Amino acid sequence: MKTRREFLRSTVLGASATWTVPMFVERTFADLHLGARDLATQAVTGKDDTILVVLQLAGGNDGLNTLVPFADDAYHKARPRLGKKEKELIKLSDHVGLNSSMPFLGSLFKEGNLGVVQGVGYPNPNRSHFVSTSIWETADTTNRSNTGWIGRYFDNACPGADPTVGISLNKTQPESFGALKNPGVCLSSPELYRWIHGGGERAQAEEFFASLNSPEHDDSPVDGASIDMPAGGKTGGIQGEDNLAFLERVAMDARVSSAKILELASKYRTKVTYEGTPIARSLNMVSRLIAGGMPTRVYYVSHGGFDTHNQQINSHDRLLSQLDGALKSFFADLKAQGNDKRVVLMTFSEFGRRVSENASSGTDHGRASCMFLAGEAVKGGLFGKYPSLTDLDAGDLKHNVDFRGVYASVLEGWLKTSSKPVLRGDFEKLGVIG
Amino acid sequence: MAGWRAAMKISPLRNHLHRSRFPPGNPIPLAMLQAAPDEWTIFEAAHLLRRAGFGGSPDEIKLLHSMGRHRAVESLLVPTEPVDAFPLPDWANREQAVADMKARLQQFQETRRATRGMSAEEEEKFRRNSQQEQQQLNRRHGIEGQGWWFRRMLKTKAPLREKMVLFWHDHFATSLQKVKQPVLMMMQNELFRKHATGSFKELTHEILQDPAMMLYLDTQTSKKGKPNENFAREVMELFTLGEGNYSEQDIKEAARAFTGYQLNRFNGTVTHEPRQWDDGDKTIFGKTGKFDGEGVVDLIFQQSAASELVPRKLWEYFVSENPPEEGVDALAKSFREADFRIEPLLREIFRSKAFYAEKVIRNQIKSPIQYLVQMLKELELADPPQAYTMNAQQQLGQVLFMPPNVAGWDWGKAWINTNTLLSRYNVAGFITKGSQEAAKDAPDDEAPMMDMQMDRREAMRAGAMQMAGRTWAGPDFEKIAPRSLREDPEKLVDALVFRFFQAPLGKKERGTFVEYAVSKKGAIFTNKEAGELCHLMLSTPHYQLA
Repeated sequence: MKTRREFLRSTVLGASATWTVPMFVERTFADLHLGARDLATQAVTGKDDTILVVLQLAGGNDGLNTLVPFADDAYHKARPRLGKKEKELIKLSDHVGLNSSMPFLGSLFKEGNLGVVQGVGYPNPNRSHFVSTSIWETADTTNRSNTGWIGRYFDNACPGADPTVGISLNKTQPESFGALKNPGVCLSSPELYRWIHGGGERAQAEEFFASLNSPEHDDSPVDGASIDMPAGGKTGGIQGEDNLAFLERVAMDARVSSAKILELASKYRTKVTYEGTPIARSLNMVSRLIAGGMPTRVYYVSHGGFDTHNQQINSHDRLLSQLDGALKSFFADLKAQGNDKRVVLMTFSEFGRRVSENASSGTDHGRASCMFLAGEAVKGGLFGKYPSLTDLDAGDLKHNVDFRGVYASVLEGWLKTSSKPVLRGDFEKLGVIG
Repeated sequence: MAGWRAAMKISPLRNHLHRSRFPPGNPIPLAMLQAAPDEWTIFEAAHLLRRAGFGGSPDEIKLLHSMGRHRAVESLLVPTEPVDAFPLPDWANREQAVADMKARLQQFQETRRATRGMSAEEEEKFRRNSQQEQQQLNRRHGIEGQGWWFRRMLKTKAPLREKMVLFWHDHFATSLQKVKQPVLMMMQNELFRKHATGSFKELTHEILQDPAMMLYLDTQTSKKGKPNENFAREVMELFTLGEGNYSEQDIKEAARAFTGYQLNRFNGTVTHEPRQWDDGDKTIFGKTGKFDGEGVVDLIFQQSAASELVPRKLWEYFVSENPPEEGVDALAKSFREADFRIEPLLREIFRSKAFYAEKVIRNQIKSPIQYLVQMLKELELADPPQAYTMNAQQQLGQVLFMPPNVAGWDWGKAWINTNTLLSRYNVAGFITKGSQEAAKDAPDDEAPMMDMQMDRREAMRAGAMQMAGRTWAGPDFEKIAPRSLREDPEKLVDALVFRFFQAPLGKKERGTFVEYAVSKKGAIFTNKEAGELCHLMLSTPHYQLA
C-alpha cells in the first residue's frame, strides 16, 4: 500500500526528486487562480464536481423537539413542560412539524429542497456521547474502526488528491476524517493559516522553514505490517504512523495548503450577511473556499451545545434558530455565487434524547433522531417512518432507518462513488438524493 | 514496545526485598516494574523533568541531574513547596466567596422588590441589566482564575503536583462554560491539588459532592422520582470503570442513589437532603440495598475495573500511548494494594527502566499547555503577557477550565492538525519575537476579511493582542544566546538545541540551523536575529515532542 507521499513521488515527481511543493498542486492552484481572477468564482476544473457539507450537531440533538410528532398524544404526555403545541410548529404533514425556530428550513421544505429523514439510528445503540459519536463518524457500530467514513471515501475514491480534498473548520480533526492515506486538513481561520516570520529576508527564511518542514525520510511511515498495528488514538492520523512521521506529514500538508487557502479565501467578497455565531462563521468560510475554487469535496462544520439535560426549552430553540440563520445565509451566498447546485448539506447528531423530560426540565441521552439533507439536488420530503412513542426501548425511540443507509445514499447519489468499500457493507438507500 | 515487555520481569525475590524497605501502611505491590539504577544521564534527567513536570531551563535540568535519579524522583513526588504557596485571587477565597454569594442573594431579592409593579418589559430589562453586571464579573474572574493556574504551572517548584492537577482536571473534566461560576472551578482546582498524588478513591468520593461537578453533571437537579442519569453514567464510564464494565441497569439504579445531594448556591456547601433522596432498594452490580451516592462509589471501587482505568491513563499521560497489557495489569495490582493511592504508582513509573526506554524519550506529542509552559520555561520567561497566553490556549485547542466535554481532551496526535501546528509555529514567533516585523506588514487586503471573520469579542481580543505585541519585550537573548557564542554558529546552535530539545538532533535539522545562523551572522548578530533563529528552531515537527 502506498502513502499519498509515495504516490506523488513515484507518479508525479519521479523517485529521485527532492521533496518540495508537489508540482501538480502548484499548477492546479495557479490555473484556478487565473481562471478565477475575474469571476471570483470557480470557473475551471471540477466545475461539475459535487460538494458535501457535513454539519455536526454536537451533544445529542433532541429530535422530538426538532421534528415534532404533534399529532401523537404520547408526545404531549411525556413532555408536559417541554412539549411543543401544534400551533407553535411549521407543519410538514398531518403528523409532524418543524420547530418554529427554523423558518428557513421550513421554506426549503416547501420548495422541495429539504429532505428530512425520520427515526435514524443504529442497532444496539450506545448512549455515551463519545462512543456514539465515534460510531457515527466511523460508521462502525462495533466502534473498532480507526478510520472514519469520510476518510475512507478519500482513500477509496480520491486517489492522489490534494490534502485539501477534505477541510474541517474545527480546531480538531473530526474522527470521520481518519484515513489511511489522506485525512484532509483542518483550519479555523485562514488569516492565521500560514507561517509568519519577521526579518529582512523572509523568502530566505521561508526556504529554511520549508526544508525543516518536509519529511526527512522519503520512505513511507506506513507500510507492510505496521498497518495492522493499532493506531495511537482515534485521530485524523494515518494508522500505525509514529509520532514524528505524523508530525512531519502534517507539517508538510500545512505548508503546501496554507498559502493557497489564504489566497483563495481572500478573493471572494460575500454580499450576504451572516450572523456572528460560530456556526454562521464556519459556513461563511466554507462558502468563500467554495467560491475561491478549492478542490475540496467534503467540508465539515460543527454546531455544539445540544446536550440539553437542563432547562432545555430556551437553549434548544436558540440552537436551532442559530442553525437556521446560518443555513439561510449560506444557501443565499451559494446562490449568489452560482454554486448552489453543487452543494448538499447533511446534518447528524450522535443520538436523540429520551422521550420523557427529566426533573430538570431537560432531556437525557436517547436513541433515534432525525437528519436533514438540504440543497438543490435533494429530493425534498419526509423519509423513513416516525418511530412510535409508545413502543419504546427502555424509554427511547426505536430507529427505523440505519444512518449508514443515509451515508450510502449520499455517497452513491451525490459523491458518485460505490458505498460498499467506504461503509464496509451494503445498506439500504433512501430516495432522498440522486 | 518489546523493550518494555522485557523490562517487565516479575521477580518475587526482589519484591520480597522491597517489602522490608516499605514503611508499614504502605502496601507492597507484588509485580513491580523493573527499576532503573540511580546513575543517569542528563538527557534522562531532562526527560523526567519534561514528563513529570513542564521541563525547565538548562540550569534547572543540571540541578535535577546532579541529585541522582532516585532523589530527583522523590523531589518531584514529595515537594517541599506548600500547597498554599500561591495565594488565591481574593474572590476565590472561601470566605470571600460565601460573602459574594450572600450579596448575590441579596441582590436577587432586591431585584424582586424593585421590579414589583413594573411592566413585564421593564422587569425583563431590569433583570437583564443586573445579570449583565454579574456576567461581566464572572468573565473577568474566569480569566483571572485561568491566568492564576497557568502562572502557577510556570512558576511552581512542585511541577508534578500541577501536572497531576491537570491530569485530574482532564479526568474529572468540568467546564466553566456550563458551571458559569469561576469560584467553583477554583474550589475544584484546589480539591485536585489537595489530592494530587493522594487517594483516587477519596477524590472520587469528594468529587461526588463537588459543587462545580454537581452543576456540570446535573446532580444538583436530580431528584427522587425523576433522577438525572448524567453523573451516574459518567462516573462509571469515564471516571472509574470504563465502557463495558457496567450495565444500563446499573446506571439507572445508581442515578436513583445519586439523588438528594443539594448545593446551597448561597454558601457553597453541599448537603444530603433525605426528602429529595430516593431511599428505596437499588440493585447495582448485583448487590441490593438502600444505597446513597457514597454507597455507590464504595461499590464501584469493589469492581476490578476500578483499579485499571486510572493506571492506564497515568501510563498514557506520563509514558506512552497504548500501554502494554501486562504493564497495566501489574500497575493495577499495585494500585489496588496501595488502596488507590497515586504516589506509590508514580514512584514505580518514574523509577522504572520502561519510563526511560529509548522509544519513550522525546516521543510524546506535547499538549498545548505543556507546549506553552515548557517553551516559556525554556526561554526563562516568568511573566508572559496574559492576554496572549489565554489566546494561545484557544488557538492551540486547550483552554484551562474549559475541556471540550466530560471526557476531557483528546491527547496525543489529536492535538495536531495543519491548523494547530501552524498556530504553534506562530505562537512561538510571537513569544520569541521572531515574527515581529511580519505582523506589522501583513498585506492590507486581508484586513477586511479579518473584520468579517470576527465578532466583537474576538475583535477586542485581537486589539488586546496587538497591544501585547507592542509592549512585549521578548526573552533575554543576552542570556539565551550569549554574544560570546554568536561568533561561532555551531556552538550557538548546540547550546540552543540543548535548551529547546534536550537531545542531539538529526543532521538535517542541526545543519539547517547552523546554516541559518551563518547566514544571519553577517556583520552583527543582533538580538532580533537571535529571536528569528529561535523561532525557526521552534517551527519544526521535532519541537512538538516532549
